[in-house]
Amino acid sequence: MLTTLLLTAHLLVGVALLGAITHQSVGLLRPSVIRADRFIARYAKVDHTAFTLSIAVLFVLSVLLGGLIYPNYRLHVRIPFEQMSLAWAVGLFELKEHFGGIGIGLLPAYICAWRSRDAAARLGLTLALAFIVWWNFLVGHILNNLRGLT
Amino acid sequence: MRGTAFSAAFCGGYAWALATKHPLFLYYPLRGDFRWGMQPLLGFDAGGPAMTWYGIVATAGLIGALSAICIPRGLSKALASYLWLFPLGAMVVCAFLLRRFF
Repeated sequence: MLTTLLLTAHLLVGVALLGAITHQSVGLLRPSVIRADRFIARYAKVDHTAFTLSIAVLFVLSVLLGGLIYPNYRLHVRIPFEQMSLAWAVGLFELKEHFGGIGIGLLPAYICAWRSRDAAARLGLTLALAFIVWWNFLVGHILNNLRGLT
Repeated sequence: MRGTAFSAAFCGGYAWALATKHPLFLYYPLRGDFRWGMQPLLGFDAGGPAMTWYGIVATAGLIGALSAICIPRGLSKALASYLWLFPLGAMVVCAFLLRRFF
């Protein structure tokens, strides 16, 4: 029961994080020639800096929740995956955990970049973090469909 | 700027710790035990599966923290615009090391 609650919280935090980082990334990539009345222009017309701290907090929360349910995965999901010869599923999860770890280490630089005026650093770090968030969300979803935690 | 140095060193340290198998500690979920990374691995029958991820994050965090103190401010500033290459490189290293799964 506790695992299900933690997994659901992990999912909800992941959804919030996905929305926030996507919003910020689209805002950074939006071409300036788009007409102001277009949906994409209105979607991206927000204060991107306001997302930074929320994204960092959500990322940490997501990794912490993932870290709490990870032993359960290791014992009750990974071993059956190995028995079912689903090495690719184990590999996908390994990439997810390592990308998540790298993302945690990236957060201080990401916060610094959004506090500075370095546009290249902002763009590069935000897109790197967005890639990690999207990858981890999709892989988590696929693996949970294959064999969920209970 | 300390954050930039921390993140750059963290990414490099993470890839290094994973490639050379240097987690700071290991966790055995079946027994709920932590053991230092330097200690010999318990056999699967004795301890169940060992988890290295927490220890690798700790190793990378330690390397990042030490580098944040030691790396000069000027170098951190110069690195800032190219810092995205560090996580990218670390992710490529991870994918390469895990290629046996695919």
